[in-house]
Amino acid sequence: MSVMDLLAAVRDADERHRIFAERLEDPLAYEVEHAFHFSAKDNLCTSDFQARAGSRILEGYRPPFDATAVARLRQAGGLLIGKTNMDEFGFGSFSTNSATGVPRNPYDAARSCGGSSGGAAAAASMLEGHLAVGVSTGGSISCPASFCGVVGLTPTYGRVSRWGLIDYGNSLDKIGLLSASSGMIRRYLPAISGPDPLDPTSQVQPPLDMSGQIRSVAVPEEALTGLSGSMRAAFEDAVARLERMGVEVRRGAMPALRFALSAYYILATAEASTNLARYCGMRYGDIEQETDQSFNEFFSRVRSRGLGREAKRRILLGTFCRMVGFRDRYYIKALQVRELIIREYEEQFRSVDAVLTPTMPFVAPRFDEIESMSALETYQADFLTGPPNLAGLPHISIPCAYIDGLPAGMQLVAPRWEEGRLLSLAERWENGFEYRRPEGRA
Amino acid sequence: MRIGLEVHVQLPTRSKLFCSCSTSGDEVNSSVCPICLGFPGSRPRLNRKALEMGVSIAKFLNCDINEKVWFSRKTYFYPDLVKNFQITQYETPLGKDGFFTIGGRRIGIWRVHIEEDPGRIKRAGRSGEEVALVDYNRSGVPLVEIVTAPDLTSPEEARAFLTDLLIELRRLIGLSPNDETTVRADANISVGEERVEIKNINGLKSIEKGLKFEAKRQSKLLAAGKKISRETRRFDEERGTTLPSREKEFEEDYGYIGEPDLGTFTIGPMARAMKLPETPLARAARLEAEYGLAPTSARQIVLTSWELADMFEALARRAGSETATTWTLGAISAQWMELQERYGGRLEETIVPIIDDVRSGAITDAEARMRIAILAGKGSEAAKPLSSEDLGPLVSRLVDSNPDVVRDFRSNPRAANFLIGQVMKETHGRYASKEISEAIRKELEKRV
Repeated sequence: MSVMDLLAAVRDADERHRIFAERLEDPLAYEVEHAFHFSAKDNLCTSDFQARAGSRILEGYRPPFDATAVARLRQAGGLLIGKTNMDEFGFGSFSTNSATGVPRNPYDAARSCGGSSGGAAAAASMLEGHLAVGVSTGGSISCPASFCGVVGLTPTYGRVSRWGLIDYGNSLDKIGLLSASSGMIRRYLPAISGPDPLDPTSQVQPPLDMSGQIRSVAVPEEALTGLSGSMRAAFEDAVARLERMGVEVRRGAMPALRFALSAYYILATAEASTNLARYCGMRYGDIEQETDQSFNEFFSRVRSRGLGREAKRRILLGTFCRMVGFRDRYYIKALQVRELIIREYEEQFRSVDAVLTPTMPFVAPRFDEIESMSALETYQADFLTGPPNLAGLPHISIPCAYIDGLPAGMQLVAPRWEEGRLLSLAERWENGFEYRRPEGRA
Repeated sequence: MRIGLEVHVQLPTRSKLFCSCSTSGDEVNSSVCPICLGFPGSRPRLNRKALEMGVSIAKFLNCDINEKVWFSRKTYFYPDLVKNFQITQYETPLGKDGFFTIGGRRIGIWRVHIEEDPGRIKRAGRSGEEVALVDYNRSGVPLVEIVTAPDLTSPEEARAFLTDLLIELRRLIGLSPNDETTVRADANISVGEERVEIKNINGLKSIEKGLKFEAKRQSKLLAAGKKISRETRRFDEERGTTLPSREKEFEEDYGYIGEPDLGTFTIGPMARAMKLPETPLARAARLEAEYGLAPTSARQIVLTSWELADMFEALARRAGSETATTWTLGAISAQWMELQERYGGRLEETIVPIIDDVRSGAITDAEARMRIAILAGKGSEAAKPLSSEDLGPLVSRLVDSNPDVVRDFRSNPRAANFLIGQVMKETHGRYASKEISEAIRKELEKRV
């Protein structure tokens, strides 16, 4: 078998290897035709930039390795142009909890980009032909995609290796892609997917099938309560458009969804509180020079100084949920709720190809509105993006309306490993629905 | 008195539990990587060999094996713990509810699980300016934790338990040679009602010493009519005493949660398919039963060397257990070190023929003992085996220089015995006397 035959075989065998085979077959032509730039959320490690995950406690930390997703995009011919801002360790829905400034919405600088992958969504919105690598734990790709008017795909848990991702909640974290339209996501999702020996949870996945289609969706009634009036109207318009495209829409109920957010916050904070324990002023990041104290004083001082308010809140919440006496009532109960939510989705997928909801209950809020929101109100804004994340299911946010000039997204959730379906639908949607672009786009 | 132990033994894998770093780093902090240093973005992957070893220990200790297991995070802040949580097993140990028999008594085993070792802290500098230095070479090294029921009744029995356990584990999974000093234990001991935990004692000797001190301390308190308070103490190796733990007393709460990065492992089929080798003490028990050996003799043979026991069994099968016992415990055991050094790996084929010669009457017991001594290098010179071609020239030279023997031999074949003795002396027992006598007879008959 000649090298070319071998490359052809590799290309045909697996969607995932196509780009790499193409690049090897004719390197120069490939670079000219496919050179692309991408950015990585700041919680992804790369050896050429510091990785702070939006936290002061990691100031100056330059990782000694590349995240697998970043390495694979480089191998596919991508140029990493920078890191994008985010809520500290992913803790937030508006990217306002960052130690390194607040990204602003491309459509209105007085409004939020959403979060926690706010910088990624802004980059995808502002830069032509850009691919932004984001991360979602409880909705951190869908939310900013909706607020910034871009497509945001969150793959199935375990689809993309998490090697090199600074952990928030390991059983929930998913690396995904954001871009102005679905084309680049469709092209590069295969490149970052696939098993990676450095992340055991990535090794059980079936190959990507990009041929799936969505012919029917379920719209759970629970998703329509708590929406702003204009959002509800915009969403119903989008549903009508889908029906005109030939997608069957079924109205149904998913009563367990209302437990999802509580379960999500318990599991996410419980895991986060252990993940953040390692930041203690030793070995990397913000290192305390005063060593003439006991270890307890030493790390308490470093953490008090280096961690933000929301990080501390989540550490306290998460630690509480896993303590003796509370563990069974919170952590263990939340694990059971997760199973319940997974079953409820499975139930839906028996009769439809996807579940459809709005992405966020409102358009991008102004910073002064955010300031007056309590932590609980902020958490509740995730009630539509939380459930698929808790269940580890692939989902996509697609721009579906512009309300007073501000974009709003709809979210489709597919069965495990069915990312292809979501991208096919996005492509069809884009044939009939024209996306707007913010002013000043580069 | 009731004593329960939580024993930690290092598993002898080449790489660490969750990364490919070597478990034996020479220089301080030389065997480390982003995973065992807990760098953000790194994540663990399980060393299958360590899992197999752990499962074999659980099976060996007669535990109920969990069909499916996962790992948990045990969170506490300490400078030697890189992530400030330890990856261990909580809800699903590899095995539970087993037992281990020592001196005919069953000691309950509550659980067996595997976990990662933290780094090592070394205190340095003058007192007052003391600093703590951390060596992370040990960080991530695989440990097995074996938790016993409080079935041990004395410090001596606790030590015997550990000694026997290590003997068996060495054969089962091959521990490091200095395991007796690196084995670590937390020991719970109660003389009266309340129990006291002595944390983190290193080495067999210290474990026994710490328990002895604590038993005495508690007995004295009770004798004086005082109460024993439930507490955690530490063992001061230099003074040989236990002291209240310096750490602030607090409700122990590690906030266990599952470790999502490793997933679950189905170990049931692996455990069922696993064939465990016969361990030394099990073999000793079998030797007692099968060959009627005294318990101490059986233990002595097996613990001297596995090969010695092999040879004993080979001899016993050929010559009966009485002969086998006599020779094995006598001449062979006495020079075992030397024999093993020279003929390790082929002792059975070297020594069994000697005993065969005794049994066939070709040589006497004394000759056999001499030959064994010579094999062990106890003769005048090293007993380098010669080929029988070397025997010929020697015999013919001796026959040539003893014409009177040749003459006597015509009337009395026993005259050859003199020459046989001469050859044996010169060859230091390297040949069976039968072989020598045949060579001499042949040589003499040529000249008759």
